[in-house]
Amino acid sequence: MFGKRQHKIAIDHELYERLEKAAQVAGYSSVEEFVVHLLEGAATPAGADESEEQVRQRLKGLGYLE
Amino acid sequence: MKNTAADFITVVSGLPRSGTSMMMQMLAAGGMPVVSDGQRTADADNPRGYLEFEAVKKLKTDSAWVAGARGHAVKVISMLLSELPEDFEYRVIFMLRDMGEILASQNEMLKRRGTAGSASGDAAMRQHFEAHLKKVRAWLAERKNFRVHFCDYRELLCAPAEQAHGVAKFLGIGLDEHAMVQAIDPALHRNRGEDRGTA
Repeated sequence: MFGKRQHKIAIDHELYERLEKAAQVAGYSSVEEFVVHLLEGAATPAGADESEEQVRQRLKGLGYLE
Repeated sequence: MKNTAADFITVVSGLPRSGTSMMMQMLAAGGMPVVSDGQRTADADNPRGYLEFEAVKKLKTDSAWVAGARGHAVKVISMLLSELPEDFEYRVIFMLRDMGEILASQNEMLKRRGTAGSASGDAAMRQHFEAHLKKVRAWLAERKNFRVHFCDYRELLCAPAEQAHGVAKFLGIGLDEHAMVQAIDPALHRNRGEDRGTA
């Protein structure tokens, strides 16, 4: 949500191959999906998810989200 | 140059209780067709009705209806803007209102609905909403297919003709500005932002 502008990051070939294997094992549909998932987890500021969840709960209570 | 209403989808957005329903009523009065299913009917929180469309809540899983919204106005709360498909042009009228007033109004609405909302108190909720709005505004600024007009609720009540003109000019489709102003509940003029039916 709110992050669709995209950028490219160069990754060493050897690392890419390792990521490819790890993505397959973990059941991701692509290396990109796997890497983005890892980076999102690493880059999320502490509390950001919680803050968004509080907004979500509030909007749900008001009848604007399911 | 005058826009053709069918070129884009008009989206009225913001936090709940920031004046989104009032803006929808203004647009409807001004001659713009609105997307609404009438499921959420008028009540004490919004005596003039909500003009909402339930399918908006399911945008993430089903956005097929959006194509048919070209030339119309639809209310989409700020949290769901990013779920709109990227294939269309959007003109967003983003309602802003004093956060204290929004929270007070939401609290009243939550009480009437008998729902808890979230565990956060007003001070924490203010921070959560402000962080959310900052994120949404940054996101909107990066979208090439979204044009945004910010409209302040209090200014709308204080200077309705000026604000209606701003909205009509932004959309550029020849809305009836006089009718838009007439759609604003006169009681809101008198109360100048007190919580009286403002979604």
